[in-house]
Amino acid sequence: MRRMVNPPAPDRFLLTLLIGLFFASLAWTGALHAEEPEPREGGLMLKAKGSTTQVPAVRLGTDIKAEVSGQVARVTVTQAFRNTSDEWMEATYLYPLPDNGAVDTLRMVVGERIIIGRIKPREEARQIYEEAMESGKKAGLVEQFRPNMFRNSVANIGPGETVLVQIEFQAPVEQVEGRYSLRVPLVVGPRYIPPHTLTTAAAAKIAQAMTAPVADPSISDGLNPVSISVALAPGFEPVDIESPYHSVAITRTALTASVTLDKGEVPANRDFVLHWGAKGEVPQLGLFRQTYEGKDYVMATLTPPAVAQVAKLPPREMIFVIDNSGSMAGESMEAASKSLVYALTTLRAVDRFNIIRFDDTMTMLFSDAVTAGPQNIAKGRRYAESLRGEGGTEMLPALRAALRDSDPHGNRLRQIIFLTDGNLSNERAMMAEIKSSLGRSRVFMVGIGSAPNTHLMRRMAEAGRGTFTHVGQDSEAIGEMRRMLGRLAKPVVTELSVNVEGSPLDLTPAILPDLYAGEPLVLLGSTDRLRGKMTVSGMAGGKRWSTTLDLARAQESPSIARLWARRKISDIEAQRWSYQIDAEDADAKVETLGMAFHIVTDRTSLVAVDETPSRPEGQRLTREELPLLLPAGWDFDHLFGQQMAARHAAPDAASEEQEQIDLPRGSLDYRMALLQGLLLVVLGLALLLWRRWMRFA
Amino acid sequence: MNETISRGAGGRGWRRALPQLFAAALLLGGAALAIPAAWMPAKAALAQVLLERNFEANLATGHNHRPWPWADISASARLTVDRLGVSDIVLSGASGEAMAFGPAEFPTRQHGRLKLLAAHRDSHFAWMRKLKVGDRIELEGVDGFTTQYEVTRMETVEWDRFAVPAQLHRETLVLATCYPFDASGPGPLRRIAIAERIA
Repeated sequence: MRRMVNPPAPDRFLLTLLIGLFFASLAWTGALHAEEPEPREGGLMLKAKGSTTQVPAVRLGTDIKAEVSGQVARVTVTQAFRNTSDEWMEATYLYPLPDNGAVDTLRMVVGERIIIGRIKPREEARQIYEEAMESGKKAGLVEQFRPNMFRNSVANIGPGETVLVQIEFQAPVEQVEGRYSLRVPLVVGPRYIPPHTLTTAAAAKIAQAMTAPVADPSISDGLNPVSISVALAPGFEPVDIESPYHSVAITRTALTASVTLDKGEVPANRDFVLHWGAKGEVPQLGLFRQTYEGKDYVMATLTPPAVAQVAKLPPREMIFVIDNSGSMAGESMEAASKSLVYALTTLRAVDRFNIIRFDDTMTMLFSDAVTAGPQNIAKGRRYAESLRGEGGTEMLPALRAALRDSDPHGNRLRQIIFLTDGNLSNERAMMAEIKSSLGRSRVFMVGIGSAPNTHLMRRMAEAGRGTFTHVGQDSEAIGEMRRMLGRLAKPVVTELSVNVEGSPLDLTPAILPDLYAGEPLVLLGSTDRLRGKMTVSGMAGGKRWSTTLDLARAQESPSIARLWARRKISDIEAQRWSYQIDAEDADAKVETLGMAFHIVTDRTSLVAVDETPSRPEGQRLTREELPLLLPAGWDFDHLFGQQMAARHAAPDAASEEQEQIDLPRGSLDYRMALLQGLLLVVLGLALLLWRRWMRFA
Repeated sequence: MNETISRGAGGRGWRRALPQLFAAALLLGGAALAIPAAWMPAKAALAQVLLERNFEANLATGHNHRPWPWADISASARLTVDRLGVSDIVLSGASGEAMAFGPAEFPTRQHGRLKLLAAHRDSHFAWMRKLKVGDRIELEGVDGFTTQYEVTRMETVEWDRFAVPAQLHRETLVLATCYPFDASGPGPLRRIAIAERIA
């Protein structure tokens, strides 16, 4: 009764507020349009050079000859630059090589003369080349832009003339699950240049150098033809030789085979890959040596013992560390969450796991690793799916937490899996942390997204005796993740160590990872004098396992020293990226190695100059950048169609080269949600008020 | 008797509670939707206040400070359009995340000659619907240097169908946001303003 006399004032206030809010939100939201199709994530992408419909005046033909002996491939690439115009030309061509290949020879053939390239520090080589070009001499230059991307330039090719440029490189043969393979990349895909790397003029210049125009399909017929032949002498009887992307003709003897392209020539639009196997048991060959300038170099391939010897997989403790910092926001975060959810499904009931997430703060899902029961897994799964990318990146506390081991002498395999884009700081502290408190744990780095800091992640994985895997985005991520987890589930030899009696060996990698089924480990080392025995030992299936190699029985191979140098350079790069040495120091070391081993590096280039001037003074020199073929499977219209459209959009610049810019997404789209939310609140409050009113009435 | 009464009372209680439960569910659901949504413009506005201070500090010291301790970004310029009474702090360290806080500068290949700024249509670049050809835009950098641009063209393009001449003759500023302005979800269209430097 009293209530009726005193109507509740707060309710009336609330009602007014609500109605006000409701109309305010209506006005604010404005007219709502129908849903539009979901766009592809609008990251900023620069396609620097675009396409060309102009048939180049300089035609290029490439011949590739590979000789596989034992476990090393030596490849000779001959590029013929033919000038079909009546002008003097300079031509340049961007091409890929295997990551671990070392280019050591440049020959330029002009008419009857052969000019041998010399190795020079990068700037000096460029200067020699440019001076020769100015003075009308023929010159060739090989420069490296990424460990797997090179550019050849040839200056002063006369009208109607052909200049041959020949480079030679070597690369170790890959060996996975008893199969051997050689990959000769033939084309550089139009590159995505991550925009945040283009913050300085120097970076923009490098990006410019790393991209090349792509030939329009209307002219690409017969452009950049390649012929390939491979002489296979693996030291055993090669069987099941196959080339998945090209049709090949094979002629063979008992222990060798020769492979050529069926059609003679193919366009340079997809990588050439050759697989082969060994008849019967995979041979245990794998010891090669070379003496180079007073030092001995050795390459050893450690093949894990047959899986049959290995007992069942011991229980594991898997610690997942997932980066949810702001740089991961969007696709990367999604890929990381999905990868983690997938990884959780691979756990067995005997395994234990934990999830740690970090941005500038960190959270551990469980205070210590828990058993992988259905409840815990479900909790982990929900947690993984709830993560959003926000905030800064402070990885160190998460790393510390992950390395904290409650049972350091347990027999579980402790595997720490990092999912991050590697946009990290304080690298030095992290390397130190891994080195000091690794214990029985193994650190596996999974690089997510398009621009992970691979050097640092590789380095961390190496220090953590694990592996580095780069998974991209979207669908690719799960596939890569599955492969990686499959490998991790099959460690064959752990606690691997190498001892050499005789002279000490400087081995790389210095910290040995575990051996996984089907994946041999390649070791490269240098020493003053190679002798004695090398003993490799470790734990296989809970038992001591060891094998001894007699270094005196190593086969001679002329490639080992350079492969060692190449490997050493990638170690230096990793140290540079983990700030263990400063940039100048690293540059100096790379330059010294490049000069000493006569290989093309980031700091050293090969340059060849024909001392006889050929271009008459006063004649103009035209520079031409040879277009690349688009990799097979890439859609030209899709990639470059927008450029044509853009030209229509900006007719005043139609004749000029266009730079395509992707525009980022610019909407928060909070209004709809806000409106719906407020509407619900209004309805709820109205209901309450109505009830009250009914009661009083 | 007693039993009947209590049962009746129990039934009534339950029936009375139902609409209240329903109302509570509506309120909770509404709050769950509205609060994160309202947080977005609030964050955008709040960040601008912090960034304004950060920009002044950067201007005074000539160094780039972080606007808040866990930020991956810093204030790099102040964008003003006098006619529209606009003053926004532009961020470097462009990412989708940066755009939650203010217009973000995206690097371009023609560094120095071409500036690309992007922001959300429903927060910092909401004023782009009123922008028109001839408007003056000022950009004050952390070095204290001010550049003036004049809008020469407004266009609506698809996000991946925009290009500028590879060799720009004049310093150019491109502002980009989503389009249409009142749409409720993400779409492929972008509204862009192209402005050329006049001073």
